[in-house]
Amino acid sequence: MNAPIVEVVNVSREVAWLPWAVQYFFLIGLSAGAFLLSLPGILLRRPAWTGISRRALLAALLCGLTAPVALLADLHQPGRFLNFYLHPNFGSWMAWGAFFIPLYLTGLLLYAWLALRPTLQGLANEGGRMAKVYRFFAYGGHDSRAALAGAAAIAGLGAVLVLLYTGMEVMVVRARPLWNTPFLPVQFAVTALAGAIGLVLILERVLGVSTPESSARLNGALVNTQAAVLAVGAAWLGLSLSGLSPAHAEALALVAPSTAWRLTAVWAAGSALLTLWLALKRPHGGLLAGLIALHSAWMMRWTVFIAGQEIPKTGAGFYSYQLPLGHDGLVGIVGTAGLWLFLFVLLTTVLPWSGRDERAGA
Amino acid sequence: MKDTPNLRRRAFLQALPAITAGTAVLPAKAAEDDAAHRWAMLVDVRRCIGCQACTVSCIMENAVPENSFRTIVSTYAVKTGDTTGTYVLPRLCNHCDDPPCVPVCPVGATFKREDGVVLVNGERCVGCAYCVQACPYDARFINHDTGKADKCTFCAHRVEAGLLPACVETCVGGARIFGDLNDPDGELRRRLDAARDEVKVLKPEAGTRPNVFYIGLDPRFQGRVDGVAALWKPSEHGG
Repeated sequence: MNAPIVEVVNVSREVAWLPWAVQYFFLIGLSAGAFLLSLPGILLRRPAWTGISRRALLAALLCGLTAPVALLADLHQPGRFLNFYLHPNFGSWMAWGAFFIPLYLTGLLLYAWLALRPTLQGLANEGGRMAKVYRFFAYGGHDSRAALAGAAAIAGLGAVLVLLYTGMEVMVVRARPLWNTPFLPVQFAVTALAGAIGLVLILERVLGVSTPESSARLNGALVNTQAAVLAVGAAWLGLSLSGLSPAHAEALALVAPSTAWRLTAVWAAGSALLTLWLALKRPHGGLLAGLIALHSAWMMRWTVFIAGQEIPKTGAGFYSYQLPLGHDGLVGIVGTAGLWLFLFVLLTTVLPWSGRDERAGA
Repeated sequence: MKDTPNLRRRAFLQALPAITAGTAVLPAKAAEDDAAHRWAMLVDVRRCIGCQACTVSCIMENAVPENSFRTIVSTYAVKTGDTTGTYVLPRLCNHCDDPPCVPVCPVGATFKREDGVVLVNGERCVGCAYCVQACPYDARFINHDTGKADKCTFCAHRVEAGLLPACVETCVGGARIFGDLNDPDGELRRRLDAARDEVKVLKPEAGTRPNVFYIGLDPRFQGRVDGVAALWKPSEHGG
């Protein structure tokens, strides 16, 4: 060993924000992004967006309902969440998050209910064993645009605040130069929107309701988000290399010597470029582009959180992380995926999300 | 005019030791401080033999779970020319005057007492690990037994009983000196004042104003160490 300094004994700190946290940031970002995609068709009643926005609402609900469960699980004892409300410290972004999440979810659920009321009434009118249940939830089945706009305002405010706090919460950690970069909240938001578009592209295909028009529209949106992802990434790199931003330069200096980090950067940029190329070249496709966009959004968070915590603050080199198979690791990923799948089965069983059913229910 | 001293230059020269890169600005005797005590620690690295007695006694005293450490003596092989020597650096919570772990805590569970000790209220802690992320010294961790934030407490329970922290009590070389910054005759204050120009803290650029001071701190180890990674990971090597 010819290195001048070799660390012989030191503690190798374990990651403290577990895969549960990655899942939370991934899912809540997707939900907020999907909610924004639901607005053109549902709130603004743009005909070309009707189907897309309906699927986007499904995506927002699926991810929005799953995300807080991942967050609670990360507390090791879910009942502890009460302390967020009993003893809030408003100097902490995380404390604000405890209020922004319910604001967003309340708005989202209200918005979804108001958007689905006519559909529920239509289902009730069709009769059957569930008619009473549908009628109960339809609560008259009125289609009130004013109420919908109010709920959308609450959910929209909540979505923006959720995107803001999730970015700021990580960005303010000065002890981790990789996180302490002003572009991080922007990167979280843009990749969340791209991931949401990817998820809607996939849902359209899974539900068998994809049309060339809807695919082209979503791919068009994906082109914009991927261009934004690449632009922000290039700006990040430019600020780091030029030294214009000391925070960015410090972050780059930490990871640049690592082969694994360089590979990760190439992978991330390659994924964004490939998605952009697919969205441009195959506007009527979408499964592959959607999957890669979704994967990029997840991988970005995994890299920031898990790989970011592998960088020692005082020690030499990097800590090594291996995904544990138990509740501190794989269970966090599989568990949230399982809950998401359960909700998908439930919501797609009891409610229509395809164009055909919408017509029948309307 | 010629006889008038250049106050600005004199002030600058007088201040030089204090602004030398990495040199800690010693806290003044806190005459205006209402607290009766202001606890701090001085680590004389020259006296540390790297025996890890402090590490073990801390674990025993505080029931620190397996694979976790509130303090440890980081040990490095340092090559200079053809010879390789050993450098040891005891690490622990720095009980900073401006602790980054406190403002991020969403429930106010982490706090700094008037006597300078930074503690975690276990009843209130939710185990979110935000403080673990915010600490620039990797001094905090999530306790596997409690699922809550854990760290060095300066053995507050012992200090309140008139005892020294366990790591100080067991230090073979007398490298750890614990005491009250407000006590002008105490060993800590005397040693700090005597070694004023040599006293340093870890990561002074972080602006956290630590209350763990070092004598004999090699600048190469003051921040993140530029070297080859740790060879030993307890969870992979049988604890």
